[in-house]
Amino acid sequence: MLFPTVEYALFFLIVLACSWALAPRLTAHKLFLLIASYLFYGFWSWQFVPLLIAVSLFAFLIAKGIQRTNDELKRKWLLGSGIAACLLVLAYYKYISFLMLSVLDFWSLFGHTPQWNPPAPLLPLGISFFMFHAISLMFDVYRRKLRVSLNALDALLYIAFFPQLIAGPILRASRFIPQLARSPNPRRIRINRAFLLILAGLFKKVILSNTLSERLVEPVFAAPANYHAGDVLLAVYGYAAQIYCDFSGYTDIAIGCALLLGYHFPSNFNAPYTATNPQDFWQRWHISLSSWLRDYLYIPLGGSRSGTTRTYLNLMITMLLGGLWHGASWTFVIWGGLQGLYLVVHRLWTRIPSSDLQNFRASIAWRWTSRLLMFHAVCAGWVFFRAPSFELAMNIFRQLGSLGAVTLAAAPALIALLLGIFGQYAPLVWRRGLESGMSRIPVAVNGAALAVGIVAIELLGPRGVAPFIYFRF
Amino acid sequence: MQQGRTMQPYRRFSNLTQLAAGLCVFAATALLLDSGGLYSWAQSLDLGPERAVALPAATLLHNALAGLGIERERQLALASLARIGWTDDPGAMVIVNAPPTPHETAAIQKRGSAAGVVKGPNPPMNISVPQPKHPVQLPLSGAPPLNSTLPAIPAVIAGHQRTVALAGDSMMAVGLSSTILRQSSHYKSLSFISVFKSGTGLARPEVFDWQTAYPAMLKHAKPDVILVAIGANDGQGFVDGGVTYPFGTEGWQSVYQERVEAYLQMLQADGAKVIWIGLPPMKSDGYNKKIALVNRIHYTVVSASPNAVWYSTGGTVGDTTGQFRDFGQIGNHAVRLRQSDGIHLSDDGASLIVEKLLPWLAKEDESTVKALTASAAGNEPAKPLLK
Repeated sequence: MLFPTVEYALFFLIVLACSWALAPRLTAHKLFLLIASYLFYGFWSWQFVPLLIAVSLFAFLIAKGIQRTNDELKRKWLLGSGIAACLLVLAYYKYISFLMLSVLDFWSLFGHTPQWNPPAPLLPLGISFFMFHAISLMFDVYRRKLRVSLNALDALLYIAFFPQLIAGPILRASRFIPQLARSPNPRRIRINRAFLLILAGLFKKVILSNTLSERLVEPVFAAPANYHAGDVLLAVYGYAAQIYCDFSGYTDIAIGCALLLGYHFPSNFNAPYTATNPQDFWQRWHISLSSWLRDYLYIPLGGSRSGTTRTYLNLMITMLLGGLWHGASWTFVIWGGLQGLYLVVHRLWTRIPSSDLQNFRASIAWRWTSRLLMFHAVCAGWVFFRAPSFELAMNIFRQLGSLGAVTLAAAPALIALLLGIFGQYAPLVWRRGLESGMSRIPVAVNGAALAVGIVAIELLGPRGVAPFIYFRF
Repeated sequence: MQQGRTMQPYRRFSNLTQLAAGLCVFAATALLLDSGGLYSWAQSLDLGPERAVALPAATLLHNALAGLGIERERQLALASLARIGWTDDPGAMVIVNAPPTPHETAAIQKRGSAAGVVKGPNPPMNISVPQPKHPVQLPLSGAPPLNSTLPAIPAVIAGHQRTVALAGDSMMAVGLSSTILRQSSHYKSLSFISVFKSGTGLARPEVFDWQTAYPAMLKHAKPDVILVAIGANDGQGFVDGGVTYPFGTEGWQSVYQERVEAYLQMLQADGAKVIWIGLPPMKSDGYNKKIALVNRIHYTVVSASPNAVWYSTGGTVGDTTGQFRDFGQIGNHAVRLRQSDGIHLSDDGASLIVEKLLPWLAKEDESTVKALTASAAGNEPAKPLLK
């Protein structure tokens, strides 16, 4: 059940009405949301609902065990075994195929055709995201950040809550579970903000992302040798805009739906292509993942507390594992490695002790130059992220040197590209102004405007709904 | 950039009554404006309880609101978007090419005279689509062979290109088409056009009608050869003429066979040779059984057509008995043959299929090649073999 579908609209409207009707009875309200979340997941595949429940129950039992004891050694042991079990399950589904392939490849080196035909497991949708939540639950209890006494219903709902279940944003147990302690307040619903987010999310996904995918990205990344530099460059920029619109569109809709249900999710994107350096970029791009990696990986590795070299190593390890999290492929490892390298180079650059250089770094000219450099560094990473193989990624770079006719520069693609990239430069005050303007209009009128907007998006978007890019992670 | 100037405080929160009012008006407006879209959605649902509830309700609503003319305006808007090139969606292009209703003609003429742009609908595509006049039920063949032998076809004349259309649904869109297009640079005697669309099939023409969409997608191109891979979505029941045909029943097989025949005849309308790439074995047992039946019907129809060639994939991407396998081998390397969904081909799996097809299609006239090689050996300036 994808967000931009009639099925989801109907499902959400029914869940919204029932959840508010049950809000005065907190346990029934949460139980209903939990069942609705499993139904939502079951629409994709009932096969993996038991896995989702099992992982959630396991994380709850471990977290509860940690909460019940003050024995530090036992707490550490419980946390370690809980995380190891989650990572093993994740590794089985995400990386076992890669392992099987490597074993078969090893056999092939000796000139034998392997007779072994192992079945690769199907990848459960959103497994990375619900594993992140399971780990966050255990970790936050271990760090005593979650002070409320944990109960099974809250733990299960935290991990399975449907707006974020498939592709985030990744919620922290310490920030979301306290919201479940009381019923959502029926007098404090941010309806206008929710409407704006849902409309913006649909616009970004249905019109911008799908148009860019169909008209620029898919053709060029399928066969780069058939295109020249202009088209390839458009496709590379197009993918940068597409992945932003696709993923931020999904999270906008998720945050909007949660707001209507009375819950608050953290922001996941903040105009990432306006970033002036790699650190700035990671504070703006997939914020919930980058902060998760920082808090649960980079800092436990030692962060920046153990000297310069160790800091650089920690950065590289964190970003390489972040890349590998996307899938067992060398292209993701290269992507992660590049991000780590960018962070290290930036740290080295900022440590050069020169007052002239510091003055230069503070100038407007450098701010825009660094934005341009950062954007292109990010685009170079996206080529590896999108290309199905290293060879194809290199073909893309090679074709950037091949001069010839530009064939893909049709108006819809260019408009979508410009909006997808330069739309991020729209001042925040515009959005706030819009929300402020909406607050002066009756909510019913805003509801009608939302409907008109959605119908317009349906007309302007390509037919059919492509899955969100991050669903496969 | 994100700072901006200070905003006046405003009312951020609303209450439950306002939410209820907002959503009621939202739902009413959406139903009023988009009853056509809702009807199309209900029609596209698989047979089952969801469709049984949704379709009558959507039909009722759609008919009740038809008098308001909103749906006609919606269709005109879609057609206008197709005309200005905003969309190359076959559905919208079909609307452009469809003969207008009297109301539409009046609306178009009125708008055209006002805006000075549109004088009337585009002329229909000049492609005749033969319909099966007296469909004769062919006896269902056995399972297709694991491997196919490609028959001799006329060689490409030096200096000419053979136009190959890539047709079908996601079985062509995912893996196959990208692999073919990627390898196309090695075959200068072949040019390719894409006429595939994911999420379609032959079982449900009321959802996506290839008989109208294909000519619109083809535009004025005339392919010499068409590579087809289709049918992954066809393992489902359908309604035809008010009669429900559950998947696999005799009635279903009969109607589905007609639809496959009509599709094949449409592809062959301009004398194109059709290479029908059979569906590979699937990972899920239940789904695999359905696809095996779909494959048998395709094979039955294709085998009966003198201008179509069946190309099996079971022996290439399946195991030695034609069953599903995830992994295979290319040269000395183990490769994954299928996507993680267990349905579509991976690029490596597709390349195993393509490695025989493309050289076969690109084979050039030997006598011309020899003449040109001799001319090159005699130090004469070599003429370009192909344009």
